[in-house]
Order: sequence, then C-alpha cells, then structure tokens
Amino acid sequence: MEKNQESVLLRMEGIVKEFPGVKALDGVNLTVRAGTVHALMGENGAGKSTLMKCLFGVYKKDAGKIFLNGQEVNFKNSKEALENGVAMVHQELNQALKRNVMDNMWLGRFPMVAKGIPLTSEKKMYDATMEVFDQLGIKVNPRTVMSTMPVSQRQMVEIAKAVSYNSKIIVFDEPTSSLTEVEVEHLFRIINMLRDRGCGIIYISHKMEEILRISDDITIMRDGQWIATKPAKDLTMDEIIRLMVGRELTNRYPHKDNVVGEELLRVEGLTAMYSHIRDVSFTARKGEVLGIAGLDASGRTEVLENIFGVATRKSGKIFLNGKQVRNRNAKESINNGFALLTEERRANGIFGILNIRENTVISSLKSYLNGPLLSNKKMSDATEWSIEAMHIKTPSQYTQIRSLSGGNQQKVILGRWLKTEPTVLLLDEPTRGIDVGAKYEIYQLILNLAKQGKTVIMVSSEMPELLGVCDRILVMSGGRLAGEVDARNTSQEEIMTLAAKFA
Amino acid sequence: MTKLKANKPSKIDELKAMTPKDRKRAIGDLLMNNAMFIIIAIAVVGIYIAEPTFLSLPSIVNIINLTAAKLPIALGVGGCIILAGTDISAGRVVGLSACIAAGLQLTTNKLFPGLQVMPVPVAILAVLAVGACVGFVNGFFMAKFKLHPFIVTLSTQLIVYGIILIFMQLGTNSGQTLSGMSEGYRNFVTGELFKVGNTTVPRYVLYSAIIAVVVWVIWNKTTFGKNMYAVGSNEDAANVSGVNVTKTIIMVFILAGMLYGLTGFMDAARIASVNANTGLNYESDAIAACVIGGISFVGGIGKVSGAIIGVLLLQVIFVGLNYLSVDPNLLYIVKGMIILVACSIDMRKYLVRK
Amino acid sequence: MEEQNPNKEVQKSFRGLYRNVKISVKTLDKIIIGGIAAIVVLVLFGVANNGYTVTFDSNGGTDVPSQELMYGDLVAQPEPPSREGYEFAGWYSDENCIYPWDMETNQVSRSMTLYAAWVPEE
Repeated sequence: MEKNQESVLLRMEGIVKEFPGVKALDGVNLTVRAGTVHALMGENGAGKSTLMKCLFGVYKKDAGKIFLNGQEVNFKNSKEALENGVAMVHQELNQALKRNVMDNMWLGRFPMVAKGIPLTSEKKMYDATMEVFDQLGIKVNPRTVMSTMPVSQRQMVEIAKAVSYNSKIIVFDEPTSSLTEVEVEHLFRIINMLRDRGCGIIYISHKMEEILRISDDITIMRDGQWIATKPAKDLTMDEIIRLMVGRELTNRYPHKDNVVGEELLRVEGLTAMYSHIRDVSFTARKGEVLGIAGLDASGRTEVLENIFGVATRKSGKIFLNGKQVRNRNAKESINNGFALLTEERRANGIFGILNIRENTVISSLKSYLNGPLLSNKKMSDATEWSIEAMHIKTPSQYTQIRSLSGGNQQKVILGRWLKTEPTVLLLDEPTRGIDVGAKYEIYQLILNLAKQGKTVIMVSSEMPELLGVCDRILVMSGGRLAGEVDARNTSQEEIMTLAAKFA
Repeated sequence: MTKLKANKPSKIDELKAMTPKDRKRAIGDLLMNNAMFIIIAIAVVGIYIAEPTFLSLPSIVNIINLTAAKLPIALGVGGCIILAGTDISAGRVVGLSACIAAGLQLTTNKLFPGLQVMPVPVAILAVLAVGACVGFVNGFFMAKFKLHPFIVTLSTQLIVYGIILIFMQLGTNSGQTLSGMSEGYRNFVTGELFKVGNTTVPRYVLYSAIIAVVVWVIWNKTTFGKNMYAVGSNEDAANVSGVNVTKTIIMVFILAGMLYGLTGFMDAARIASVNANTGLNYESDAIAACVIGGISFVGGIGKVSGAIIGVLLLQVIFVGLNYLSVDPNLLYIVKGMIILVACSIDMRKYLVRK
Repeated sequence: MEEQNPNKEVQKSFRGLYRNVKISVKTLDKIIIGGIAAIVVLVLFGVANNGYTVTFDSNGGTDVPSQELMYGDLVAQPEPPSREGYEFAGWYSDENCIYPWDMETNQVSRSMTLYAAWVPEE
C-alpha cells in the first residue's frame, strides 16, 4: 500500500457540495494513479461534472480535501489548475469560435516575440501548434477559423490544447460524443501515449465499450454518492450498469402497453433554411412513441424546431390527419395541436421565479378566462389536476418552480403543455438532468399519453432510453434521415452505424 | 474585407453548383448583407450627378481629413463592440478632453487665470489620463458587476457631462466657449503636412494614421488584443484558458478612453473653439461607423480596416448630403436609422451563420 | 443538479447584444428593406427641401431678416443693423465675436447664426 501511495497523482477525499435543496456531492472519493486511465461513471446527474468543477475551482466545495502529488491543493480557478498541471477537455466545447485554431490553443499564454517585447509571435505560435499536432497526429491547419471546422476537429484541437499544457492530470469529459469511429481510435492512441508518459487520465463517458477498453480503474457514482472504485478488468458491463443504476436493468423502463393506431402526422421533405436539415420525411401514428436518435449536431433538435415552426423552414410539408398544416410560428403550431418541450429547460422552459401555477397556465391562458379576466379558480383547478396527474412533488401551487428538483420541473412543464390539449407532443431530451427515479415517472407519463391516443416524438441522446420507451426510432445523421428502425428488434450497434452514415 | 475577396472565387463556384432557387437565395443573401455598401454607392453616384464638385480633389481631401478626425474615437468604440459591449460615453469624454486640452493651451486663460500656455505633451498626457480614468470606471463596473455596458456608460456619460459643465465654470470663464488657443498647439495639430493641389492635408491626418497602426498592432499582435477578441467571442472559453477576463475588459475600456482623449485633443485644435457641447453625439457616429464596417455586436468580430472603412463611408455620405444642402436636423434622423438598419444587417449575417 | 448540455456550444454563439434574438430572416429582410426605403425617402425629402438658413443675431440691434441659401453660396450683405449708443462692427460666426464672417469669401456649408458685433460710440 505504501508503495502504491507514491504513484498516486491525485486524491480527492470526502468531497461534499450542496446546492440549495440538493446534495450534489456527498462524500465522494477519487484516486488517480500515475500512468493509468481512470474512468468516472454514473448516470446523468450522478455528480461527475460537479465533482470535476470542484476540482477546477468552478464550484467551491463544502467539505473534503484534494491532494495533488501528496500536497493539499485548493484551486480557485481553472488558470491555477492549469498552472499546476491539471487540464480538462470540456464536454461543452469552450472555444472562441471566431478565432483561429492557434489563437485558441495558446489563449491565456500567447508566446512572445522575445522577452520584454509585448508582441505575440505568430510564428512561434504556429510552430508550437504544429509541434503538438505532429506529436498527436492531428492534421489541421493552425490558421483555420474554429467556426469553419467540424465539431470533431474542434474537439481534437481542444485535446491538443490540454496536452500542450504538459499536464500531469488530464480530464476528458465525454470526449467521443461527437467523434466518428476512426477519430475515436485516434483519440485512444493519444490517450495511450499520454498514459505511457505517466499522466493520470480521468475519463468521463457513458459508453461502456470504450470504458472497458481504455480504462485501468473505474469509479462509479450514483446520485452524488461514491459507489465503488474497482480495477476495470474485474468489472463487466452488467456489473457497471447495476452499480450505476442501483437496480436491475429490466426495471428501468415501464411496461409498454400503448396501442399504435392509424397515421396522424406526416412530414414530407422537411428542409431547414438555416440549419443543415435536408429532406427529412417520416410519418407518426396515433398512440405511438417515435424516437429520434443521432449524434450531437446531427439535427435531432432542429427537426423538432422546424416542425414546431420556431426555426424557419425552407421547404417541406406537414400533414396532420391528412390535412396540411403550416406551423409558421409557435402560436400557430399550438393552435394546430402541437407542443414542444424544449431541451434547454432552464434557458427556455421554466420561468424560474414564478410559481408552479403560473408556470402551468402560461401556455393556455385563454381557457381560464372568465369574461375578460382570468379566473383564479379555473387556474388553480388546472394546476391541481396537473400536480396530481404528473405526481409533482411540491409543498403547494405557490412554490417557486426553481426550488423544485429537475424531474419535478420537467413534470410541471409537461403539465403545462398538456393543458394546451396537444395531439402531437414533441419532446426534446425530456429526461436530461433528471435523477433515475424521476426518469421512470417521465417514461410512465409518456406512455400514458400515447395510450390516450396522442403521438409522442422524443429526441434523446441516451440510446437505451429510446430503445426502452419508443415504438420506432428515426436515426438522424448529418442533418439527414439515415434510417428508421423498429425499437423492439434493433440494437445500439445498428443505430450507431446509421448515425455515422452521413456524419 | 480582404477575407471577402479571398472567398470570392469559391463563392462563384458555389453559385454555379447551386439549383436556381438556391442561387437566387444566395444572391439575395449577398445583396442584403451588403445593402449598406450598395446604398452608399448609389448615393455617391446620385450626389455626384447632382453636384459634380462633390468628387473634386478638395472635396475628397476634405472627406479624408474628416475621416482622420473621427477615426480614433471609432477605434475606441470598436474595441468595446468587439467585447460584445458598447460605449455611449465616448462623445462626452471627447468633449471633456477637448475642454482640458483647450484649457491648457489658451493664450489668455480665463479658466486658470495666470496659467501659462502648457507644452503640447502635457496636454496630450492630460487627455490620455482623463480618458483612461473614465475608461477604467466603465470597464470596472462592466467587468466586476456584470452591468450592461449601456447602463454603465450612460451613467459615466452623465458624470462626465457634469464635470465638463463645472470645468467650464472655472475661473472667470462662466461657461463661455473657449477659443484663442496657442499657435504652437494649433499648428501642432492642424499645421500643414503636405499639399494636394491647393488643399492642405493637416498633420492630424498623420497622427490618426499612426494611431490606426498602433491600434492594429495592439489588436492583432499583443496578448491583450488577442485576449480581447477571445473574451468577445466566448468569455467562458477565455476564462477557462486562464485569461484574466476582468483585466481584459478594463483594459479595453481604458484603451478606448485614451483614444477618445486623443480625439478630443485633435478636435479642440481642429474646430478652434470648444464649448460644453463639443463631442456631443460623436459616439453615435462612431457606433454607426463600426457597425457599417463590420465590427459586429455579436462580439469577437471586427478589424481596424473595418472601422476605417466605416468612418470613411459615413463621412462620404454626410459630406455628400451637406453638398446637397440637406437640413442638418434631418440628418440626425437619417443617422439613427442608418444605425438601426446596419444593426439589422449585422444581425442578419449572424442569423444566417447559425 | 447541473448537467451539462453537449449542444450548449451552439447556444454559446448566441452572444452579444443579439443574445436572445428570435426573428426569422424573412421578417428581418422586410425590416431592412423597409428601413432602407425610409432612409431613401427621408433623404429625398431632405434634398427636395434643401437649403440652409442663415439667421442674424443682431445682439440688441434692429432685426435683420434671415436668408435661405444653398451649399457653397455666399451670404448676401444685409442692411447693417443699428443700435442706440453703439456702432456696428461686422458679423461674426461665434457668440463671443472672435471669428469674423467674411461675406466676400466665406461659403455657407450649414445652417448657422451670425452675430453682430458692437463697439460703444465715442
């Protein structure tokens, strides 16, 4: 044990972080040894990102200690972390998109022409960038403007940047989510190279195969708690899932008993004006849950936005019950019986400081009119119905929505849309950032809606969720429809292959 | 602008490869995105036909002189816009610096009775210091308290105006227009650089050119400049990469303030009489020029050359309308509408980029 | 719980003053064209009603009628005003009567006011 202690690069002990109303981290431990890849696993909302934010000083931890090379550290910001050899490849690409590659690489530490001369040297910057790129086998012109490059290349630049700091600890947060298979292989070669150099790698990912392939140790978190740390070779996929979910996989999705009826919605040749969506055609039937899968930036969200009319269509027709609908803007779409649950719940879903009742009635105010005035009773009845039907856990109707948990917020919004009496529900990542238990309830609600004869179209980046809840799954790739699969007899592999078709 | 040219061949190829409908749309985009330039070009031709002297040599030199006079303030505001902010205190800071420069250079000084004419460098240092102070206040409140730049600079604009009014009351001046500045100062700024035909090109054109070069170097060749673009483009990214965002924002506003100071310094000598309303509405000209020149409110986009082109075009159009004897009161309305339209076009480019 | 959104970088570009812009390009086009049309109409109106007004502030003397002039015109020498106890000393372009206005050479380039200067009679 003593011997092992020496090669420990980073040790996080008993980290606690509380947000108002939620204990995001509760005594989490993480030990990263030099020359190993340490996978950090857990469901969305398990606290992986929060843990990393505590490491980098984005959040201030409430308790616990962090040791780097045996020394206790307490980074105040990411600059300090970088200076001490702790770098991160961010999941949300944090880049100045209007600047070129090398400006982004050396941001915060531009090389100077010479000591004492306050001018940056383009040449040094270019050479240094090329050096790192050659080392990593990245073929990108350092003078390319970021926004003109595909996401996968930007990702590679981000990785090169982290490497260029000569960091001892490098955190990869979902690095493969936008990479193709070839690029993933490339990334793994880079990671192996870093490992051989003696770096400690923290690898955060949802993808089991990757984790089992690349990592030496695995730490599993669930609901903000540390569950286990084990060598990767002692773990199987099922075991990991069991640890992550905390219950058997079979119970993760409710029993599907919705009956699919006749065609309700038909979309023909949907092409967007300002995104890459091209020629998307599909149908959806009454009582059906239709999934849309695809990689990030494959255009999943944009399809929903175009149908709902919040993004401008270039061409394409939408038929509801055989009749063409125009859906030129959200208001028209709502009148036509559509509802869109947006992906960015906090940004464009909830009215944080308003209470549950106000959040519930906002989209259907007309139905609570009593003469020219809104009837308090009608609104309160509607909210009561919503709270009951959705099983919303709240002290009262008058609670500010922002004090509820993510799952309950989502239920309130779902309730809001149900009050507009939609026939087609478009759900964009309905379970993102919601804890596992609440996810189950959302699935249950989705299936209940289908059983009432509504059509549900849901976009999700979690493939098991689509497989578990949907009847059919459309797979998007590079803005086009790559294929359609029957959820009952398909596999993640088939969907992944389709998703990479035009990427 | 250079970039646009570089992309041109590929754009034509792209056009050829498109379906007629797409081609029509692409050409439409091109026309709309450059609507401002097209309109100005048409206006120039129109004005030239109505008043041929408009494009005579003296008139062109005059336009260039005016452009040089307004360039520093536009560069200052441009930096703020690159940060995805703006600065509406610019005009008043120009006014205050003009008052101070004039106050130090009066031959018979009513503000500071008995004060000798100060050496020109003292006046320059004074305006730089004053501009930097106001810039610091602007930058500090924007960076530290994340206040909206409009609110911050609106407040400082008021404060600076108050200071101007009090300054003009000093000594026995009691708010009167300051005029009668020392010959040395006036000559330093408006003295003859060289002659084109019979028209004098004053020295401040050279100063303005030097300022433009210095600003270009700062924007493109220094850490500070690169950080400025990065913060404007994505503040979080800059922060994560270890850029001191607060310091960068404050520095941008300080630099802007110093540029306003220099504008004021040149203006006092150029106009030769300074009152409390000197510099009024300069910021609107500067903002309009920047937006026309492609310095976008999106943040992180903009070049020195853009600011120069913007100021030049704006001067062309207003000198032209002046030649047609258009009521100056009407020109305020035109100016305001140009800003709105230029912003709409800027916004359109950015929407399409999505 | 804060979970990050991988698509957030798309949102990130929605920065600056246009952070929350939700407008279709078609509408925007109409606004731009409308705006340009309005500017053109205004300018044409301005050109049709062009001319500068030169007003005379006689500083306590008798009134002098204002003149409507075009760009580059010379101001026509008006009838000199008179004032009890003072002698008229010419027209100046500033209130403090420091910069004299030379009617022979100075061309009009804007609407302006000329100020009368007076010297007390002996």
